[in-house]
Amino acid sequence: MERRDFLKAAALTGATAALDNCGNPEHQLIRFIPEEDLVPGVAEYKPSICTMCPAGCGLMVRVMEGDAEVIRHGEPGLIKMGLAKKLEGNPNHPISQGKLCGRGQAGLQVTYHPDRLRHPLKRSGPRGSGQYQEVSWDEAIKELVSRLSALRSANQPGSLAFLTQTVRGQRRELMEKFLKSFGAPPAVTTELFDDAVLRRANEVSFGRPQLPTFDLARANYVIAFGADFLGTWNSPVAQSVAYGEMRQGRAGVRGKFVMVEARVSQTGASADEWIPGRPGTEGILALGLAHVMIEQKLRRAGDAGHAGSLIEGWSKGLPDYAPPAVEASTGVPAAKIIRLAREMAAHPPSLAMVGGAPLAHSNGMFTALAVNGLNALLGNVGNPGGIFFQPQPPSGKAASGPPTSPKGSFSRVGELIQQAQNGNAPKGLLLYGANPVFTSPSSLGVREALEKIPYIASLGSFIDETSILADLILPDHSPLESWLDDAPESGAIGPVASLSAPAMRPLHNTRAMPDVLLEVAHQLGGEVAAALPWKSYDELLRVTFESYNKPQGKNQAAKPGDFWKTVQERGGVWSSSETASGALAGASHAPAAMLGPEFDGAEKDFPFHFLPYASQMLLDGSLAHLPWMQETPDPISTAMWSTWVEINPKAADGLGIVQGDLVEIASRHGKVQASALISPGIAPDFIAMPVGQGHEYFTRYASGRGANPVAILAPVAVPETGSLAWAATRVKISKVGKGKLVLFAGGIREHPQEGELR
Amino acid sequence: MARKWGMVVDLDRCTGCEACVVACRAENNVPTVGEDQAGRGRAMHWIRVERYWEGEFPEARLKFRPVLCQQCDAAPCEPTCPTYASHHTSEGLNAQIYNRCIGTRYCANACPYSVRFFNFYNPVWDKPFHLQLNPDVSVREVGVMEKCTFCVQRIQAAEIQAEAEQRDLKDGEFNPACVQTCPPKAMVFGDLNDPGSEVARLTRSNRATQLLGELGTRPSVTYFEAESWEEGEKDQG
Repeated sequence: MERRDFLKAAALTGATAALDNCGNPEHQLIRFIPEEDLVPGVAEYKPSICTMCPAGCGLMVRVMEGDAEVIRHGEPGLIKMGLAKKLEGNPNHPISQGKLCGRGQAGLQVTYHPDRLRHPLKRSGPRGSGQYQEVSWDEAIKELVSRLSALRSANQPGSLAFLTQTVRGQRRELMEKFLKSFGAPPAVTTELFDDAVLRRANEVSFGRPQLPTFDLARANYVIAFGADFLGTWNSPVAQSVAYGEMRQGRAGVRGKFVMVEARVSQTGASADEWIPGRPGTEGILALGLAHVMIEQKLRRAGDAGHAGSLIEGWSKGLPDYAPPAVEASTGVPAAKIIRLAREMAAHPPSLAMVGGAPLAHSNGMFTALAVNGLNALLGNVGNPGGIFFQPQPPSGKAASGPPTSPKGSFSRVGELIQQAQNGNAPKGLLLYGANPVFTSPSSLGVREALEKIPYIASLGSFIDETSILADLILPDHSPLESWLDDAPESGAIGPVASLSAPAMRPLHNTRAMPDVLLEVAHQLGGEVAAALPWKSYDELLRVTFESYNKPQGKNQAAKPGDFWKTVQERGGVWSSSETASGALAGASHAPAAMLGPEFDGAEKDFPFHFLPYASQMLLDGSLAHLPWMQETPDPISTAMWSTWVEINPKAADGLGIVQGDLVEIASRHGKVQASALISPGIAPDFIAMPVGQGHEYFTRYASGRGANPVAILAPVAVPETGSLAWAATRVKISKVGKGKLVLFAGGIREHPQEGELR
Repeated sequence: MARKWGMVVDLDRCTGCEACVVACRAENNVPTVGEDQAGRGRAMHWIRVERYWEGEFPEARLKFRPVLCQQCDAAPCEPTCPTYASHHTSEGLNAQIYNRCIGTRYCANACPYSVRFFNFYNPVWDKPFHLQLNPDVSVREVGVMEKCTFCVQRIQAAEIQAEAEQRDLKDGEFNPACVQTCPPKAMVFGDLNDPGSEVARLTRSNRATQLLGELGTRPSVTYFEAESWEEGEKDQG
């Protein structure tokens, strides 16, 4: 008899007597039989994929044996199972390269969150009351199927809407295939800080509608226009790894980094030269640099090719962008523009990046095209030390859907609202982790519009401002409990398709969203069932990933079973070779003329520009439910658990505001309150607030905490893409009382007095 | 020769992202204390990212510096402890024996780096957050002082493994949680007594400085100050 079998037998006989009066003894007994072959005290590492932001880093999950209270077959019990204990970066993964940011580290808390939904729920009180009753999965799926069937038999399949968080890869294709075969429009990704403007500009300039990969590790000169590339933007871990190499990874070479922004961001703090720019004039500054390079014959105008031809006057050397004129519009001294242009030209490879606030103005498209033109002039597109467009993995056999939304999410949500206001609301809505009620300006009336939809089902894991309107909740597994796949948009130079098996078994009575869709499709029958023939999501993944198994050079294709196993062990497939593609043929587009930004609110009534920014810890608010994120001090303010508003010392003096005062920030569209943080790193005509707090409903840790600056934004869009122009609002501020700042106050200093708040 | 663990932090690579702060919390079961206690200065971070402002807008500059226990050779915290809870190990760590600690907090007062944290209450993990706890690290109770250990549980696991395999530890074979996660690779950890180790090589660099080294604490953590880009200064503008 094996030792393990002996122990099982001993447990079965011996423990029955001891546990007689502890509920159903059969369910207590299972704790003695480990669910998997884990050795107590010995950790195993399993690959997974980080879903905390859209970068798509590869993870290694440290799994150890532990006792967990779970529900199996409807009965509670204590079992021994493998539990995720720590997340690390996957050293083999081309995006994370063994590293992980703080948000990724906190991904563990999503799985173990006490307020994660544990079983299907059906609304039992009025809508929005948060009153739900537990139902079985059979019942929940049956109800959803009957609602969807009703839509179909009423010949209204097109009135089913789907709002989702960022989802890519096969998961996205499955969603799109479901919607298409049902007859519904494609899913709408709702993101506050969407990058639709940059994607569109890259499509026009370089033929690639995606975010670029920056080869910082080999760059000698980097200028960033508002792009928070070391904090929250694009692929922060990959960019930080490369940044470290740019600074100290090469003997005798230290790259220079110049930042242009109105408030010192976490990224801007690392700059060698920090340049305050007037809001919305970054594109003019970029073309000023291009003008100097062309005029001083450091580069030829023709070098920029198609990307240059998209700017009016490029072939004539950009006559409108002479340094004095650029100084007049941007406030950056002409001599400095000339010096920067000469430095950039003299230290190749040099690159420019643009993202964040500069593109969230009415002239965002002009700004993005201008920076693209500068990059093309520098000759760095597709070259070492420059910008690359990561090849996307081929679409699987499942379906082909757009990897990214060509249109900004703001306009897509806006269309939905418009329909609802015209009495034409969708008849049904599926939600998957999307929270447009929180991430949209309140004047848009998202909540009111959604309330007009007769039936809402949520497939998410938490109750938030949007999913509290759901009539039915079918909670997803946590990412660590799920089969995952991803096709990162940027961060590496070669193509990447990540894949991971569940790192641990589910804790609760939840089901993976793709499996729920497959089951619903199966029960719906007809075309939908025919379009989604897979029994489970991993079967679909296997079909797709086996299709990547091709002979590589001299190596023959692996045996199908072996390949599938290897892919799971590595965490995906990627090619290390630089099959980099630079620019393809760009799209035709009318040349962009010089364009300044427009702001909402008159300067005399609303003297300050309002800059909401993605919080380093809470991002757009989607991570506010994690206590580890709440209690990690913000890098700039050191604040925890709260919202603050950053004010320049001179501006604060003028208004009689001191640190810690409660301040009201008012736009034409509403007002919020936050505690004043006097900061030397912000321009005197700017007010900045982190996005993330101000949740009405979002677990015990985030509800009713702080303020949401998005609420007071003007609902104006960047015309070309319909993205929210979130940097285009003007505000006024006034002191309303005494506030409270919870600062870590990092620094070597005395201990605070009892009760002292600082 | 016995090992002596040390670290180098390159501030020219550090971006202030605080990945180390969260990684440390996850690895070492450091509790969150909530808004009220955090407001009283009782938040616990075995490693923190300090930030310093210099100058006024538009010349204002921000500098980051990750600060963890400097594992001093002449540690001011150690001689103050009446119960020898705070002591020096043979591998150069300032160790804290939690079940000896009676909570006088003398060590925290003596430490010039403010890296010791006192448990004012028993830590709370709302279930099932308790499942995330690292079984290799003991959870500290009320009345006990806690601090960075250079992830001693990882050191010991690696040493035991190497001994079982009858081999020497390899440089870089394991790292503390902060070093392992750091995206720009600003931190390097290793044995200062191994002249061939990366950390020993870097410690001999002319960029090496120590935090408050003038106090004579002889820290085991070395900082490389951020460098600047010179060429542009010579031109106009």
